[in-house]
Amino acid sequence: MANDKTIWEKLQAIDRRVLYTLLMVIATVSLFFKVNVPTKPGQPTKDLYRLLVDADALPEGSTVILQSDWTQSTRGESAGQMEALLRILMRRNIKFALLSVADPQAPLVARNVIRAINLERKAKNQREYQVWEDYVNLGYFPNAEGTSNAIAANFKTAVAGRKETPPGSTTPLDVFQSPVLAKVSKVEDVPVYINVTGSKTSNILIERLGGRVPFAALVTGVMGPETLNYYQSGQVKGVAIGLNGVAEMESLMEKGLEESGKPPVQSFAGETNYGRGMAYYLALHTCLVLMIVAVVVGNVAMVAARKKK
Amino acid sequence: MQSESYPIIKLFVGVACTVGLYSVLYRESKFYRFFEHMFLGLAAGWAMFALWGETLKSTWWDRMVGSVADEGNPAVPGYWAWAFLLPIGVMAYFVVSKKHNWISRIPIGIILGLWSGQQVQVWFTRYGPQMQSSMKPLFPTTWSEFITPLQPEAGAVYPAQVIGNLVFLLTLLSAMSYFLFSFETKSKLFNGMTTWGRWLLMIGFGAIFGSTVMTRFTLMIDRMYFVFIEFFQQGLIPLIGGR
Repeated sequence: MANDKTIWEKLQAIDRRVLYTLLMVIATVSLFFKVNVPTKPGQPTKDLYRLLVDADALPEGSTVILQSDWTQSTRGESAGQMEALLRILMRRNIKFALLSVADPQAPLVARNVIRAINLERKAKNQREYQVWEDYVNLGYFPNAEGTSNAIAANFKTAVAGRKETPPGSTTPLDVFQSPVLAKVSKVEDVPVYINVTGSKTSNILIERLGGRVPFAALVTGVMGPETLNYYQSGQVKGVAIGLNGVAEMESLMEKGLEESGKPPVQSFAGETNYGRGMAYYLALHTCLVLMIVAVVVGNVAMVAARKKK
Repeated sequence: MQSESYPIIKLFVGVACTVGLYSVLYRESKFYRFFEHMFLGLAAGWAMFALWGETLKSTWWDRMVGSVADEGNPAVPGYWAWAFLLPIGVMAYFVVSKKHNWISRIPIGIILGLWSGQQVQVWFTRYGPQMQSSMKPLFPTTWSEFITPLQPEAGAVYPAQVIGNLVFLLTLLSAMSYFLFSFETKSKLFNGMTTWGRWLLMIGFGAIFGSTVMTRFTLMIDRMYFVFIEFFQQGLIPLIGGR
């Protein structure tokens, strides 16, 4: 009978719905506290920040290819990564060519983030990023492997036919007429190829474009450990992993980067640096604490129940 | 409908969908099924639109039919050979025919052939640099300092670095030895290595699992942020307060 159960047995049989509710309540309550949790950025994120902000690695006004392969399903991690990345690119006047290979929804989601960051800039009386002048949307390319191969073989042919409408015009023009891609004819012409991904498209890019162009990846926590192998071997120059990576990026944007033996990298102090990463960071910690407590309680209860028998 | 109401209606629909899909945590029901099917329908519909609008039109149709000169765009002659892609693509849909499904194997075979042909180069581009970076020095070249200084001499290998490299080598060999299943080994050293390799793999899997848990929690936190901060705090409460 249920009433005969000891406290230890009851603890082992907590209904999953109780745990789900507890988790949601703890996460939600944590979200209302605006706390900047201190973080010590790891080397992969530091290298990513240096790659994006250091003028030698990425000169102001240059063009990067930004492959955005995420949708709402990984918004928790990828949106924060995309926002932090766009803030850096826009503050440094880096032009970007946007494309997606993972999901037909990805270009729309990426355009929404660009719009949101533009609104943030407009509210601060900063220059809004203009399509055509500052960025072009190359659109969706199905088949990640085929597209990556085509880009490696001939970037101009791979994206031939893609058009964008300049501001004040109604006629879409070839993207290679835009200031963004005017000096780009092959993938080696861009100083950095950036992939914000909610899937394994970063691996596909490494396979197909490896060695041709410095590669930076902003990946989910699921892909993080795998991507670190490529970072260790130098195939990826910098990585931000999951929400932790976003919080580290935001922290670096606020404080800058100083490493021994390397030139310091500027901060963006005074700007909006802390965003989605730091907004979620406390909640992530409280959720992890709950999980650890649940694991410990479950195991202690199991041992205690066995001893009773 | 007033245009200022549109953002809050949009957010409300998002919240309803979130609640509908999360209701599966309680139990699977028709309520959950409704939202699941709605999501699938929307995703499929959007995919068809995006495939034509963002991909097929510019990459295939426009190249096939060409275009006349207009403001800023030169005339582009059409290239009729692109038409041959249509029957090859249509063949794939014969997979639903019981009688003619063999036809679908033709485009699948083409894709598999192209994919297989790339694999040697792809494999080496992916793993070659990793194998190269695994070749680490195991003997120090300087004893001037034990721990690698903040500004090391160019090309120098310090003793602490060698210890790190030895740990790496031990991990690499132990983990690889675990996967040698083809023959029985009686060597105590080798069996010890495979056991150690298994432990190291488990530690690695634990780290991967931890990172995966971080993702799952973040996705849930993001939904809670959407419902309680973006909808209630930033959307609904100011709207009610404003009126």
